[in-house]
Amino acid sequence: MAVSEATETRSDLCDLTLTEATRLLAAGKVSPVDLVDACLARIGRLDGSVHAFITVCADEARSEAEKSARRYASGTPLGPFDGVPFALKDNIETKGIRSTSHSKLLIDNVPAQDAHIATKLKGAGGILIGKTATFEFALGGPSWDLPFPPALNPWSPEHLPGGSSSGSGAAVGARFVPAAVGTDTGGSVRWPAAVCGLAGLKPTYGRISRRGVHPNTFSIDHCGPMTRTVEDCAVMLGVAAGFDPLDPGSIDEPVPDYAAALTGSVAGLKIGLIRHWYNDTATPEVVAAVDAAIGKLRELGAVVEEIELAPLQDYVDCKTTISTCELYAVHEKDLKTRPQDFGRLLRTRVIAGGLIRAEDYVQAMRWRAELTTKLLATFSRFDLLATAGWLTPADPADPNGFDFFKKRLIVTMPFSVAGIPALSVPCGFTSQGLPLSLQIAGKPFDEATVLRAGDAYQRATEWHLRKPALT
Amino acid sequence: MERTPATREEIAAMAKIAGLDLEPVYFEELVEAYRNIEPMLWRIRQGRDRADEPAHTFDPRKFMPRAAG
Repeated sequence: MAVSEATETRSDLCDLTLTEATRLLAAGKVSPVDLVDACLARIGRLDGSVHAFITVCADEARSEAEKSARRYASGTPLGPFDGVPFALKDNIETKGIRSTSHSKLLIDNVPAQDAHIATKLKGAGGILIGKTATFEFALGGPSWDLPFPPALNPWSPEHLPGGSSSGSGAAVGARFVPAAVGTDTGGSVRWPAAVCGLAGLKPTYGRISRRGVHPNTFSIDHCGPMTRTVEDCAVMLGVAAGFDPLDPGSIDEPVPDYAAALTGSVAGLKIGLIRHWYNDTATPEVVAAVDAAIGKLRELGAVVEEIELAPLQDYVDCKTTISTCELYAVHEKDLKTRPQDFGRLLRTRVIAGGLIRAEDYVQAMRWRAELTTKLLATFSRFDLLATAGWLTPADPADPNGFDFFKKRLIVTMPFSVAGIPALSVPCGFTSQGLPLSLQIAGKPFDEATVLRAGDAYQRATEWHLRKPALT
Repeated sequence: MERTPATREEIAAMAKIAGLDLEPVYFEELVEAYRNIEPMLWRIRQGRDRADEPAHTFDPRKFMPRAAG
């Protein structure tokens, strides 16, 4: 059955968060079939103006929803993710479902296997609704010269949803699905989360397997959950995390009960505030919102002290050098044989990687070690670090706009370079009604404390409860 | 230290060594892209202690044959 044929009889089901949905599913008050139908109907009605999805898997989703309904009916649900509709960024391979990375280069790519994270989420009973738009190969965007249109921001169709996990951010922000997976190399989960009003977590490097995810930068690639609440992020991380012996970057660390770590309290937590990363460079509304969020955390009992780290530019240079070399290695053959099949932005961001010397790559890796060592040293005094989630609100959707990669400082990159968990949390809105965000980072593999702080903040605020007026 | 940006001829030479035999339109893109990357590379090329380790290690156990899990 086509998406548009579904009847959105209970549109309020799309307003449920992941956790609210699973509580109702467990109580038998909602069926997975109703949930999936509501999602499909909303997508059918509204995605024409958002372009969050490249592919919608309506038939497969309904079939899986019926299986989930039978499990609930027999009292054997698979856990807190059973029956939850979710979306995957299109650079994540899905068995039998086209996985394009939003690129002409992979327009006919139908994988024979699921990516590890797809296997984990489906194995926990999650229901894949569809594959979402991305910057081309998680880097080249927003682009208007690709086979699919760029995703737009559900809070304002004249604005973009950030990227590179643009469709995942737009899909959750538009309430098409309660949860989605993004990938994050320099901020590609946290940026769209920040400008779409979501919680988005980049976990520790190695926490979630990247097997079956199209590479951007092997040494910095992460997968992460994008949801409306931090509590939902915790549930989804618990399902997705875990050692994968077939991913050389995967690290064998126990997976704690993240949801159980959400105590609702930040009392006594020591937070290092890195204000110089946003104070001089962010828009005034971002600065005010992040400062106010820090004030709220203080009010809730956190002990906040301002600290100084290396300038943002250092992390951006280090990360960009490493990424450009690794991206070039991935795409060299296609750049030489079919450059016309790349979008212009991806081609121009990658091609100069062929001119970077091997010793520059090694120097950047040595710098990464130095920057990471200095950043992690702050954890001898602090439990968490905090700064802005992004330095601006959403950008206008302008095909002739400037290429921000050339001009901007990127406040998410330090925690990418360091490979530590970092969370975007909504912390306000501009006068135009565009979301703003706080970023909280923690020690390696201490996602639990990061999530605990974000959740405590959300319990005390209502930014995440606002709904875009999407019509 | 004052640095001089690479000329188009020098970029062309680097592209040739890299095996990038580009049509003129893509060569112009490469020149523009290298103009953006070059200052970053100057900043990367800082003096380092001889013993500074890069942020990568190689664990051969990661590449042992294993069954998919």
